[in-house]
Amino acid sequence: MGGPPYDCLANPLGAVRLTFEKAIGSGTQTHPSAFDGKDWGALDVFRHFLFQESGLSQVPILNPKTMRWVRPYTLVRYRGMIQDMLGNEIYAGAYKDGYLWRTNKFMDISQYPMGSSPDMCVWERRLLYCVPVPGQSSWTEPSCEMNLNQGMDQSSQNRGKRRRMDDEDDPMDVVHDDEVKSSPTTKKMREDGFPFSSPESRDSKTGSSCTSMATFQYVDKDYLPCLVKIYDSPESELKLNDVVEFIGVLSFDSELALEKDDELSNNFYDDALVYLPPNKVPRLHCIIHRKLAVHDFLQGFPIMEPKPHLVKEIREALFRHLTAVLGNDGVAAHFMLLHLLSKVHARAFDVFVGKLSLNLIGLSKESVSVFGIRLSQAVKNLLPFTHCIPLTLEYLNTASLAPKRDYQTNRLIRGVLQLPEGSHLMVDETQLESGTLNSKGIENTKLLKNLVEFQKVEYDFQYCKMEMAADVQLLIFSEGKSNIVPADVVIPFQPSSLGSSEIPVAEAVEAWRWYLATVQSLPYSIGSEMQKEVEDDLVAARQADRSLGSQDFNRWMTMARLVSTSFGETSLSMEHWQMVKELERLRMERLK
Amino acid sequence: MASDSSPVNFNNGPSSPQDSSSSPIPNTSSPAHRRRGGRRQTSTPSSAAATPPPNPSRFAKSSSTPTPSRSTRRGRRPATSPTPTAAATPSSTDDFPPPSSDGGEDMEEATPTFVWGTNISVQDVKNAIQMFIKHFRETQELSNDIYGEGKYTRLIHRVLEIEGEWIDVDAQDVFSYDSDLYNKMVRYPLEVLAIFDIVLMDIVSLINPLFDKHVQVRIHNLKSATSMRNLNPSDIEKMVSLKGMVIRCSSIIPEIREAVFRCIVCGYHSDPVVVDRGRITEPTTCSKPDCLAKNSMTLVHNRCRFADKQIVRLQETPDEIPEGGTPHTVSLLMHDKLVDAGKPGDRVEVTGIYRAMSVRVGPTQRTVKSLFKTYIDCLHIKKTDKSRMMAEDPMEVDNGSQSQRIEDDVQLDEDKVEELKELSKQPDIYERLTRSLAPNIWELDDVKKGLLCQLFGGNALKLPSGASFRGDINILLVGDPGTSKSQLLQYIHKLSPRGIYTSGRGSSAVGLTAYVTKDPETGETVLESGALVLSDRGICCIDEFDKMSDNARSMLHEVMEQQTVSIAKAGIIASLNARTSVLACANPSGSRYNPRLSVIDNIHLPPTLLSRFDLIYLILDKADEQTDRHLAKHIVSLHFEDTEIAEQDVLDLATLTAYVSYARKNIHPKLSDEAAEELTRGYVDMRKRGNFPGSSKKVITATPRQIESLIRLSEALARIRFSEWVEMRDVTEAFRLLEVAMQQSATDHSTGTIDMDLITTGVSASERMRRENVLSATRNIIMEKVQLGGPSVRLLELLDELKKQSSGNEIHLHDLRNAVSTLASEGFVVLHGDSVKRI
Repeated sequence: MGGPPYDCLANPLGAVRLTFEKAIGSGTQTHPSAFDGKDWGALDVFRHFLFQESGLSQVPILNPKTMRWVRPYTLVRYRGMIQDMLGNEIYAGAYKDGYLWRTNKFMDISQYPMGSSPDMCVWERRLLYCVPVPGQSSWTEPSCEMNLNQGMDQSSQNRGKRRRMDDEDDPMDVVHDDEVKSSPTTKKMREDGFPFSSPESRDSKTGSSCTSMATFQYVDKDYLPCLVKIYDSPESELKLNDVVEFIGVLSFDSELALEKDDELSNNFYDDALVYLPPNKVPRLHCIIHRKLAVHDFLQGFPIMEPKPHLVKEIREALFRHLTAVLGNDGVAAHFMLLHLLSKVHARAFDVFVGKLSLNLIGLSKESVSVFGIRLSQAVKNLLPFTHCIPLTLEYLNTASLAPKRDYQTNRLIRGVLQLPEGSHLMVDETQLESGTLNSKGIENTKLLKNLVEFQKVEYDFQYCKMEMAADVQLLIFSEGKSNIVPADVVIPFQPSSLGSSEIPVAEAVEAWRWYLATVQSLPYSIGSEMQKEVEDDLVAARQADRSLGSQDFNRWMTMARLVSTSFGETSLSMEHWQMVKELERLRMERLK
Repeated sequence: MASDSSPVNFNNGPSSPQDSSSSPIPNTSSPAHRRRGGRRQTSTPSSAAATPPPNPSRFAKSSSTPTPSRSTRRGRRPATSPTPTAAATPSSTDDFPPPSSDGGEDMEEATPTFVWGTNISVQDVKNAIQMFIKHFRETQELSNDIYGEGKYTRLIHRVLEIEGEWIDVDAQDVFSYDSDLYNKMVRYPLEVLAIFDIVLMDIVSLINPLFDKHVQVRIHNLKSATSMRNLNPSDIEKMVSLKGMVIRCSSIIPEIREAVFRCIVCGYHSDPVVVDRGRITEPTTCSKPDCLAKNSMTLVHNRCRFADKQIVRLQETPDEIPEGGTPHTVSLLMHDKLVDAGKPGDRVEVTGIYRAMSVRVGPTQRTVKSLFKTYIDCLHIKKTDKSRMMAEDPMEVDNGSQSQRIEDDVQLDEDKVEELKELSKQPDIYERLTRSLAPNIWELDDVKKGLLCQLFGGNALKLPSGASFRGDINILLVGDPGTSKSQLLQYIHKLSPRGIYTSGRGSSAVGLTAYVTKDPETGETVLESGALVLSDRGICCIDEFDKMSDNARSMLHEVMEQQTVSIAKAGIIASLNARTSVLACANPSGSRYNPRLSVIDNIHLPPTLLSRFDLIYLILDKADEQTDRHLAKHIVSLHFEDTEIAEQDVLDLATLTAYVSYARKNIHPKLSDEAAEELTRGYVDMRKRGNFPGSSKKVITATPRQIESLIRLSEALARIRFSEWVEMRDVTEAFRLLEVAMQQSATDHSTGTIDMDLITTGVSASERMRRENVLSATRNIIMEKVQLGGPSVRLLELLDELKKQSSGNEIHLHDLRNAVSTLASEGFVVLHGDSVKRI
């Protein structure tokens, strides 16, 4: 490997430093204030490494498992949902150490003493508090085994290489050798590659396992939040509840934990950060980030053109699977398929195009224990983010569904309904018994109703409430039509058999996941002739039955879209329109 | 030059946060400073802007960064170097242009002193401030008397009289007098304000040499307010103005400003030690020459000076939050009198200096984290909602904290007002607003116009005699299911200030009005407001009005006419204001509206309540293919064109809201003479219509309630046009609106005329007449056909007979049944199921 003279993976800060020095040194561009915190070429290096040299797969994903062996100041990636935004942070971006400019970008603690220098550029970065995506299905997580081995190999390999490099051809280090050696801390860093790392980590270098993160305390074994610091990205790019992959430098400094002594300043400022001690929440200095779509979670299934015949095949298989899960109830399976494909395409003041929440009625406590569980497993297996709410009286009265800002800690407390786009939410109403709702219960039912009707969740900021747009597929199980969560489609569930609990082949499931993700985002249109047909049909239907309203029409149109796209087609055909009408007829028959 | 337009060089100068703690003032060593310095030190150490110690500032010195030692060294240099160029040390190349406007007057000063790191001459600034205080006149003063005292001279006198501690200076005044001074002040607030304070003290000591309180200057009302979101490193050390809401206040922190030590060996008290960069150095030795004991000094708390300090968190206003973001917060540092000026929940406008301080990794470590913590050193705080509370107009749009949708304290700036006024001048504004109201619902234009009137509202009137007339317009929508009544309601709820949305099914009387509870902690009885009280000065939307319990509905009688809610329970007797417009919607009692029955029969509402609605609209689902097609077309296009739904030429919700609130707040139309005349004439006309020539039957087509409604409607219509006078056309339109609404609901279907009896009593005049006819006919038939004590007759037989006799009118079984039951009550017949027996 020829490559650049630095290792992006094990020593990303070295790469940052090199590019910085290059940019400073090159031509007239000598004053770092001209950067104003913007990128000076480091991003290109990383982009090149990650995407051209396919280094992305070598970057370990941060999770509770990898946390044990990942070393600080290496390149890692973190996949999570932006749960809260903690505002901006101002830091000393560039400063003069003697006669040389240094940068603090992508790090918490300056590597060189900078206290006495008046020459300094002040830049800002954004703080995002990210959590693992709520309800993330297990299949979305890459198999850890592979990653672990790979990561280990890589790091030890790089380690050796890096040291060699330092000695031989890292000109920067040679130049400043004298200064660096003057301070014991920086000396350690020099040898180690990691500034301020604890003594254990030095020892571990010889051992087989790294314990540099040994001081990391797990609050929850499976739950690893992360504080991400964003540098080069406009504010509008990352939004609350986005699911994003951040690639950047992991930083972990035990010293930061000592901050607590300074009580006055804590009381004063970053309240939020005090409650996120670095030994519980790792810091990630994000270099590159990308929003994740379902496709990014699919492993092993090649990305390909949605060819009609292929799509139809997969659709058939998936439909059979759903029918089997639903105890041979074909109509319900049809609706289930459409429901799984639904997604909010457009929002107007009171119309939400594309949502199709489903209410399976006729389920009792007993049948839910059979079909509900099986269905939830099936859905979990198909969709990346799924959630289940047991709608009992106690739950309604006690659960906090809406996210709420806690001004004591100055953070947004996550509510159950803070979900990323494209989440699936199952509400089991069969366990609901009669009783009294308290004020919280009423609030919660209102939230659920708003979510299903308007795809909006009201976040409680105490002094004001803010509506946040959501895009959540809702599936409701109930005995009769649910009034708490009034769904778009209510269908009596009529299983004819107990259904099989066979486990589908892994490859087939992979294909279904790909299918659901791909078909959902197909473009769609209605030809002018078809428009006319549909309009005539709607008018005729309304003439025949005055009780039909815009809501029904909206549902039909949504279904038409979903049926068409479920066959991989981008425009509505007569056949599919007829199918919608037939499905509705069958449903109506059942409702009678 | 705007304060934020020029890039600031952070390598030097006071803008670097590193030096934030070191006020550059020490280098401003003009003789005047020295002279006063000593006195000030003892009297007002909290604001010793010009005291000799290295770090005098009235601002918090919380930074714990070791100050670069050069700052003091460099700082002194300008004083000793005779030329201005000396100030510009090699590294302090600043891009601020030399002051041009006021540079010529201080030539007599031999050694100009400069604000460190810049080429702003202290003397220049001083002169400029003196000029400003002495010579600033407000525009109206300018014309009146040019020789009188200026605004600020008067202010200073007043402050001296009341022994105040500060003077509010309007930054706009500074700008209009000397824009250069304003720019300097915004860019170098620490320095300029310190000079400002000095100048002020000079003036004060001239007026009253014995006045020993320190008077500070407080700047407010900057030209441009910064959004909290846009605060960035280039704003550091600059004066900024922010709007936001106080969300948290710390307790009051006593901050030491001056410490006195005592020697425990000899009891000698040291001179006061002033805080230096947040620290006080304890003297290591006693300074008394004959003691000199080591490590003997202890702090004497009683003789130290403390100042109040408070940390407040401010959150940005909801309208500044972009989609998909969470509100930002910023810390404010309050001192002295500003402490407790804002409570959590207050909306405030803050003027202050944006500052940053570096964070040490640990208290013992020398390493500095590369982070800075930012805060705003508060100079001035203004509660933005105060003025609203003092306004007394009852129709004023005023927003409580519970209504988050419309922030009407987002003070409409002038541009916006101009825009709205421009909008109001358009000839088709009425139609345009109608179109903009719930653009997703078609047709129903007249209903929308009515709703528009409700949004704008009429003028409330309170006579000296105590009688009051409401200005709120109440509307009832009755109609078939699926005619988007609820959507209209939702829309109005979204749009209206303080709208409350309830459903009749879930509302109880107490939930709507008010109820008394026992506070769980104190055990006191507490009055809790219900929906109607909460929507005081707003619109209370009640869905499914017909499903409301009678008990709850009866509470509405008072609310809708008297506009109060009276409570008499659990020892609390109170009358609460509920100046609410009610917008209700109801479904017909059958699933569908029966056009043959009256409104009363259709919705089962008591006529007493019904008559309190100004407008009653029937929204009927006519089996009209045209409308259906329109609907179908719209829905198809909605699903086909994914993104663009918005119709053109329609005002967006925000503009509409702004328009409505502006009109409600600022426009109070009065009736013009011709409009009044027209009203009278029209009303008389309406009354006349009930009298058919040659007919004794009296139909009431209008009641006094209608004329009140008409006045309200015409006032609202004038408001829509931003007109201060109700004109003829408003009245005409009001009549039309009322007629349309009444025609739908109060039309007697048998005669086709408007009959207010329908609303007020539930039975139309012609219906009453017809019933009389049926009754007498039935009586006749029974008299003829049925024998006393004889066999009973079936009702159907009677019906046939009746039909035979009265060939013209159609008679239904239920008419007959009504008639027979009347007869039964007279004791004329007995009704058993279907058979009638005469007794």
